[in-house]
Amino acid sequence: MGNQKQFGYSVRQKSARLAFATFILLGGMSLAQQRGGTLTVGLSYDIDTLNVYSTGYLGDVQATVAEGLLAPNEKAKYVPVLATTVPTIKNGGIKVAADNKSMVITYKLRPNVKWSDGQPFTSADVKFTWDAVKDPKFIAESKDGTEDIASIDTPNPLTVVVNYKRVAPDFASTLFTFGILPKHTLEGKDLNTDNYNQMPLGTGPFKVTQYVKGQYVVLERNPYYWRKDKAGVQLPYLDKMIFKIIPDSNTLVTQLKSGEIQMATSVPYSQVPQLASQSGLSIVKNPVLSWQHLDFNLKGPAAFRDVNVRKAFAYALDKSTVSKALGGYPVPINTVVVPVFSYSNKNVPKYPYDLAKAKQLLDAAGYKPGADGIRVKDGVRMSYNIMVQAGRSTDEDAEQVIIAQMKALGVELKPDNKSGVAFRDARYKGGYDLFYSGWITSADPSYSVFFGSKGPNNGQGYSNPKIDALLATADSTLDPTVRTKALRDFQTLLMQDLPSIPVATNPSIIVVTDKLGGFVSNPTNMTNFVNTSGWYLKK
Amino acid sequence: MSLTYVFKRLLGMLPLLLGVSLILFGVLHLAPGGPLDVYADNPSVTQEALEQMKRAFGLDQPIPVQYVKWVGAFVQGEWGFSIRTAQPVVEEVLARLPATLMLGGSAFVLALIIAVPLGVLSATRRYSGVDYLITLLSFLGISTPVFWLALMLQLLFSVQWRVLPSAGMQTIGDGSFLDVLRHMLLPTFILAFASVAGWSRYMRASMVEVLNQDYVRTARAKGVSNRRVTYAHAFRNALIPVVTVVALDFASIISGAVITETIFAWPGVGRLFIDSMNGRDYPVLMALLMVGSFALILSNLLADLAYSLIDPRIRYD
Amino acid sequence: MTDTLPTLSAGRRARREGFWPTLIRRFLKHKLAVTGLIMLTLLALLALFAPLLTPYTFDGQDLSIIGQPQPPSAAHWMGTDQLGRDAFTRVLYGARISLMVGLFSALLATSLGTLIGALSGYYRGWIDTTLMRLTDVVLCIPLLPLIILLSGILRPSVTLLICIIGGLSWMGTARLVRGQFLTLREREFVEASRALGGRDNRVMFRHILPNAIGPIIVSTTLSVGGAIMLESALSFLGLGVQPPTPTWGNLLNYASQWLTAAPWLALFPGLMILLTVLSVNFLGDGLRDAFDPRN
Repeated sequence: MGNQKQFGYSVRQKSARLAFATFILLGGMSLAQQRGGTLTVGLSYDIDTLNVYSTGYLGDVQATVAEGLLAPNEKAKYVPVLATTVPTIKNGGIKVAADNKSMVITYKLRPNVKWSDGQPFTSADVKFTWDAVKDPKFIAESKDGTEDIASIDTPNPLTVVVNYKRVAPDFASTLFTFGILPKHTLEGKDLNTDNYNQMPLGTGPFKVTQYVKGQYVVLERNPYYWRKDKAGVQLPYLDKMIFKIIPDSNTLVTQLKSGEIQMATSVPYSQVPQLASQSGLSIVKNPVLSWQHLDFNLKGPAAFRDVNVRKAFAYALDKSTVSKALGGYPVPINTVVVPVFSYSNKNVPKYPYDLAKAKQLLDAAGYKPGADGIRVKDGVRMSYNIMVQAGRSTDEDAEQVIIAQMKALGVELKPDNKSGVAFRDARYKGGYDLFYSGWITSADPSYSVFFGSKGPNNGQGYSNPKIDALLATADSTLDPTVRTKALRDFQTLLMQDLPSIPVATNPSIIVVTDKLGGFVSNPTNMTNFVNTSGWYLKK
Repeated sequence: MSLTYVFKRLLGMLPLLLGVSLILFGVLHLAPGGPLDVYADNPSVTQEALEQMKRAFGLDQPIPVQYVKWVGAFVQGEWGFSIRTAQPVVEEVLARLPATLMLGGSAFVLALIIAVPLGVLSATRRYSGVDYLITLLSFLGISTPVFWLALMLQLLFSVQWRVLPSAGMQTIGDGSFLDVLRHMLLPTFILAFASVAGWSRYMRASMVEVLNQDYVRTARAKGVSNRRVTYAHAFRNALIPVVTVVALDFASIISGAVITETIFAWPGVGRLFIDSMNGRDYPVLMALLMVGSFALILSNLLADLAYSLIDPRIRYD
Repeated sequence: MTDTLPTLSAGRRARREGFWPTLIRRFLKHKLAVTGLIMLTLLALLALFAPLLTPYTFDGQDLSIIGQPQPPSAAHWMGTDQLGRDAFTRVLYGARISLMVGLFSALLATSLGTLIGALSGYYRGWIDTTLMRLTDVVLCIPLLPLIILLSGILRPSVTLLICIIGGLSWMGTARLVRGQFLTLREREFVEASRALGGRDNRVMFRHILPNAIGPIIVSTTLSVGGAIMLESALSFLGLGVQPPTPTWGNLLNYASQWLTAAPWLALFPGLMILLTVLSVNFLGDGLRDAFDPRN
């Protein structure tokens, strides 16, 4: 079913989903780039709005239109887009105040960049974006970063000086990397209802020429696009990109097979084998920055507040079986920080599959098997609800494996899956006993949103002052050594506490025509579509 | 049938629609979770902004007051704004309605073209091999899960033989009549499928009944040819009860398009309905259900009118 | 159409042959209906004795083959699904839920409809007006979207699903029963029992109802099929009963993503739905003919 992405993976910090930049152009495929051609992409959800700041989805289409100052590349490292360099302390772009309580970031903007209507892009647009997004009247999906900024100065059209209220190491994840809004068309308009939401105007390689609701979006080459390839050819290579809305995943696969679409970016694992045998299609495993987790609602059943119960669950959960059940694609993990990040801690406490040990732990905690095999303590059966996002077949399959494994432990789990708003509501407010899902993060995530006592994504009610302190350190230092240490200690402590069992990191499966050249996948919560300018179709 | 009668019937629709709206409004607003829950957990949306939205959507009022206000606005064509897309509801619905009407309309006609002759054939050759075959097929038709059949046909026509597009309403950039027609074939057939089965059964039963009537027997006894009896006398009379059933079914074909539209990525109101449901987009849901009810009531009326047109014995005044 | 709304002649009881023997004799002549009845009985028995018929449990996963569906074999007659579960077992257990949803929602709809129709037709007056206006209004709401909406908002359990389907499909029966009551309440035998001081509910349910039973049984039978189809449609939209509890609908929905890689997964639940609904329709058809005095 559709809605594969909706709500499932959207993180507050959408600001960081950005393009990988010029990289793909340097990738040694100097041969066959040709201008021309149309790429048709299947989209598994119906677009709500084309405004990057208000959509409830990850914003694949938006990424081809709107550009930010910076963007994460395929290795989750930030590279400049509309800015000329990534500001650092070293290059003088970042200046931290003497009291270590605030900082100033100066962006030098790329000259001669134009909006797709031919108007020049300037520092005023950057300031306007901040003003527009932080406006309380504007209802946005994400306003992250707006509150960190005290003021913005624009001494000249190509210089932006951002005065931060705090030291914000995650500044690159915030709004300016997310997308810049055009001041000249939006000033004084109501961003909630403006036509921008249907026909966005950006500096990106493509512009929307037709958006037929519920059917498709046609994007054509932005004639004013600033990027050129090494040979001096103006990008993008492709004449057109079409996003076709196909909510049913079976139909999506059928369209890939019949050649009606040439690309889809989140194909369910179960559908992959039948596409693997199809000639003309490549299957790309994209190791996204996401992790699957089984959360305990600590405000829920009393048993979950006993750390030994949580540990018993962890020992009884065989991650490799979960992976195997999903075609072997998921990679089991032991911590919530995915291995791509340098500060991922390999030495956290681990809970390898050991059913006997799990049973021992529960026996010792006083949960004894009842007549029906389900454990009981003080007359309370170990019977709980487990929630996944309804319609996400990979999560539903994993859920069933977990249910079977917990049954072996003597714990009864009953599925209580939800979709759409109901799912989000339960996720953020803790409307579950156990919850299995995944988070996808930016290239520079802040873990306090997930595990901080007041973290907006912390629906499970986890609170540990030591964790809060470690995360506060990590969130307020620009010193990589201090940050790494804080984040490693955080992981160790978290795995001792075990409010959430990290299960696996699920790669996303991209199916794409063999003819597409210049394509590099992107692992961040930004989509694969940001810098589409270097994509080309082989003849 | 007089104009006064039609007018009276139209007037009679109003209390029905009012009753329907009352029930639907109740169901939607008493359900757990309101439309603003989308934002409730979003730290970017301040409490102040939430209050402002509540006022803007009128959600701060007691439910009965909301209902009265809603009725007032709805009647004036002000259907509010979609919570999901922030676009006017009227625009959202109107953008999707033509696609559904086109699909539903052609399925309706197709079903009729197939079902009526099948029913007549079945009735005139009662207990023959043809009759049994048609009966069996229509029973199979009633009993096959539609989505299963749809997936099978997609595989066959779009993947195996590659003769028809598997989904969508048009080739992008084409959109000519022929192109749309090709896209319509599979979904139309699927949507018509279940109706064909039911209707041909009705047609058969009705025809059998008429053929047993005295006047038909008399006509036969008088030496009127079999063919003439069947088509000139019996057929017209047998159609009467069928018309009622068929007209009533039009609305359910439209509302049954939800599944067909999902499978074939058809951009109609059925899809809009599902998306709005996932987003708890109450204004859109309410509008769609009201439009559906209106269609249902209207087709009821049309059934009665058609009835009186075909059957000279019936006169309304 | 008179063919679908047969009326019983009150004189039938006077005949030498009893009501039920006549009915059974007529019904048995309808070969398809008898076949349908046998099929349904078989299915019900299979569902009832599922645990005895299979060595597996419906949620038992064979870890050695998890990850890839296996084709039918001697050990697994209908193959296994992606999670290494025996497909035959799941189809058997699925029969339990699917038949239960079909049967109970049909019974619920019929009970509600009969009650409303009976009250309406028997008392007439304002009760009739109120109940029939209610019926009219509910009939004017497109059924499928409303059921989808309720299932979507409430995420139903099996019981709730039955209540939703049954609670929204009583209107036809109500109208039918009301019609029967309006006619029957004027008959002599009703007059007689009233004259003898029979209480209202006794007159209604002991004297009138049995005479209206034919069409009620027929419409109940047919709505069993409708409810099973509805459950599968809801499952397709992901709004039906949640796995791992199997129903034919969610088995079929699950199988649809394996349609080319493991077609056997879709084949059997699809066939079961087809066979069941077919049998139900045959049975309904036969009952209709058997109850129809003109045959």
